[in-house]
Amino acid sequence: MDTKWKNFKYSPGAKISAFVMVWLCVMVAAGSAVFLGINHHTINSDSYYDTYQFKNQFGSLVRDAVALNVELVSEEEIRFSGDTEEEINNNIHRYYAIKGRLADTVNFAYYIENTRTGETFTNITSGDAPALIQKQPAAVYYDRWKTDYGYPFAADIAQMLADTPYEVHAAVIEPLKPGDFFYDGSISYSKTKELANHARVALISAIFIALLAFIYQVCVTGRREQGGEITLSFVDRIFADVHTILVLVAAVISLAIANSFSFSFPNEIELIVLVIIFGVDVLIGLTYILSMTRQIKSGRMTRNTLVYRLFDMCFKGKAFKPWTLLLLLGYGAVNGILFTLANETREALFIFIVLIIPFNIAVLYFTAKALTSLSEIMQAVKEISAGNLDYALDKSQVSVAFAGLAEDIQSIQGGLKKAVAEAIKGERMKTDLITNVSHDLKTPLTSVINYIDLLKKEELNNEKAREYLSVLDEKSARLKQLIEDLIEASKASSGNLAVCVEKVDLHELVMQACGEYEEKIKKAGLELHVNAGEEKTSVSADGKHMWRIVENLLSNVVKYSLPHSRVYINIAKSEPYGLLVVKNISANPLDISPEQLTERFVRGDASRTTEGSGLGLSIAQSLTRIQGGRFKIDIDGDLFKVTVEMPL
Amino acid sequence: MGKLTVLVCDDDSAIVDALEIYLKQENYEVVKAYTGVQALKALSEREIHLVLLDIMMPELDGLATTIKIREEMNIPIIILSAKSEDTDKITGLNFGADDYVTKPFNPLELMARVKSQTRRYTSLGSLASKNGILKTGSLELDPEARELRVDGEPVKLTATEYGIVLFLMQNMGRVFSIDQIYEHVWNEPSYTAENTVPVHIRRIREKIEINPREPKYLKVVWGVGYKMEKL
Repeated sequence: MDTKWKNFKYSPGAKISAFVMVWLCVMVAAGSAVFLGINHHTINSDSYYDTYQFKNQFGSLVRDAVALNVELVSEEEIRFSGDTEEEINNNIHRYYAIKGRLADTVNFAYYIENTRTGETFTNITSGDAPALIQKQPAAVYYDRWKTDYGYPFAADIAQMLADTPYEVHAAVIEPLKPGDFFYDGSISYSKTKELANHARVALISAIFIALLAFIYQVCVTGRREQGGEITLSFVDRIFADVHTILVLVAAVISLAIANSFSFSFPNEIELIVLVIIFGVDVLIGLTYILSMTRQIKSGRMTRNTLVYRLFDMCFKGKAFKPWTLLLLLGYGAVNGILFTLANETREALFIFIVLIIPFNIAVLYFTAKALTSLSEIMQAVKEISAGNLDYALDKSQVSVAFAGLAEDIQSIQGGLKKAVAEAIKGERMKTDLITNVSHDLKTPLTSVINYIDLLKKEELNNEKAREYLSVLDEKSARLKQLIEDLIEASKASSGNLAVCVEKVDLHELVMQACGEYEEKIKKAGLELHVNAGEEKTSVSADGKHMWRIVENLLSNVVKYSLPHSRVYINIAKSEPYGLLVVKNISANPLDISPEQLTERFVRGDASRTTEGSGLGLSIAQSLTRIQGGRFKIDIDGDLFKVTVEMPL
Repeated sequence: MGKLTVLVCDDDSAIVDALEIYLKQENYEVVKAYTGVQALKALSEREIHLVLLDIMMPELDGLATTIKIREEMNIPIIILSAKSEDTDKITGLNFGADDYVTKPFNPLELMARVKSQTRRYTSLGSLASKNGILKTGSLELDPEARELRVDGEPVKLTATEYGIVLFLMQNMGRVFSIDQIYEHVWNEPSYTAENTVPVHIRRIREKIEINPREPKYLKVVWGVGYKMEKL
């Protein structure tokens, strides 16, 4: 039961009904209040006879009765009164109008008596007229001394009765008979009275219900469950201050529209428009209040304002520093003041030359300087990203606005430098370690090689012993080669190798290398084709390192080429590089990536049965790199292609 | 002349023993030492004709020992070292050593180098320099006899090889490209030179050098050409 209630309490249905209820009740309350306000006189009166409406009519009729019987009397009387023609006509007209008006009423009764002559005038046909009149609740009596000022036109009546012997009795006779406005008035009076009671009840209950529903709304709005997170609706995304201004604008527009209507006698269309406008305003107001409530509840009220956002952007943003903005404002203000000054005073030219131009030139200069420092910083970043870690960013050239940025970049640069230096140091240490270990390996290996050699010279009449010995001989030689390659590879890859750059003719180099390898190539059954252009291709490189590269490539070719295949060596120019391309057909399938091939100790044949240390390509690549060249391997099926590019 | 004496100095006795065997096979007397101090002592006690010296030794290392020896004597010194870098070699040679052999060495090559160094003693005086003989180090070319000698031993060369050696020795220290050598030796333009010159040069090196991969006389200037080193 309890949870059901809670679920219901936070359900959207309940919230929407509460919202509609608040709206409806406000509309009802407003309607009732307006009704009560308009009719407050009627409602506050004790009876129909107390209302202005009645008093006006009644007073006017009393005046009419007095005027007819005391002042005008009859048509003859008027005609022979000796007045001007115009007045006579006027009075005759009045006489008949009054007669008509008195004939129209069925409830009004009067009794006028001339105390001197005893002559009486009345519209009551039967019974004791004065007694009947005096019995009525709304009865009046006038004579030359007595006037009832509680009714309008009393002054007129008093004037007409002055110095006359007339006594006037008047009243409406109860019960009222239908047929004149007294009857209609009393009916509508009692209706209004009755409605007013309902309206009061409606007003009070509507206010009560609206308050309750509103409080409920304020409590549950934004929450999906008891103590839950505040969820904001799309309305809340409007900045709070903007929302407030919009609501105010709506209110002002509504008031302006309402003001254009005449309030005293509203017609139906205007009334409907007013109701609609009011209804919409209530809707807007309610939405606004609930939205504000949600935002206050969620604590996002201040943050969700345009002012806050603007402030935030300008003062907390990364792009601008607050005082930069202030400078901009200051610049505008100073210029404004100066131009105004120039405009107002006679020395416009003077101010222009002495103040405005120098000021703007100075501002331009500093701005340009700031921008220059930005480009300075950009240049530095470009250099650093290109690998020039020693690029010095001149901080004295950087304007204050970008000093922080420059500093950050310098610290990044410093960090990078340190990292690179550490990496180099690490690589050096590795190289040193490899070199030292290798040296320590070499001494015992010397003995091994020497004693194997000595053993070979001994008389061995055991066939197997000789076979074993040859294995030892071969493997010790291999070990020696491995150690030497290892040292070279570690030195080349760490850049711990002197490079003596000269002009090296690639064709000459290849011819020399081929001369060295001629026998081995023949032995491997390979056919070598060297293609070089007519033009010499001289690259800037260290001849010894270049020979090592070509030697390693040729030794690879001899070791791994398919017997009786052709090997192509092309030499070409491709600015700004000289190209050396070696192509051969592999004897074994190359299911290995080019990248892996240049890793140390990786060989094309996974089983490592063939000779070689697996360092050849790695050394060739490292040597190419330390000379500023590029080393690339392409594998296309069994076609193995190495491209060495050296700077011309 | 009697047997020549070689001082072998290395802290690794196995290497010293192996070298003793090799040297004795080549008919040398051997004196063994295991530290620089022992080596200096041996030198002061007997007549030594050549020293084989390890660098990394306790007490006094090879380089310091070399300096000490050079203060008093002019005998050939061959350094044996596990250090194979060029800078190490240059340091060793600058300190007064005559040759530098890296470990692990090929025994035959080492013996060849020992022989080459000791030949100065044996052939001293007999090498009265005749007119017209071209000489670098212990490489001699006699154009009259059309004979090339290494350490006094004649080397057999083909006519082309002889032509190349003659041309290079006549222009000692100068570098010639393949084309230049071809044009001078073959006396014709080098359209068809291909790799004949490099092949010939490799063969010459194999005949005259102790270690053809690291030639002493006929050097390869990679990517430029070849030259005969002026020693």
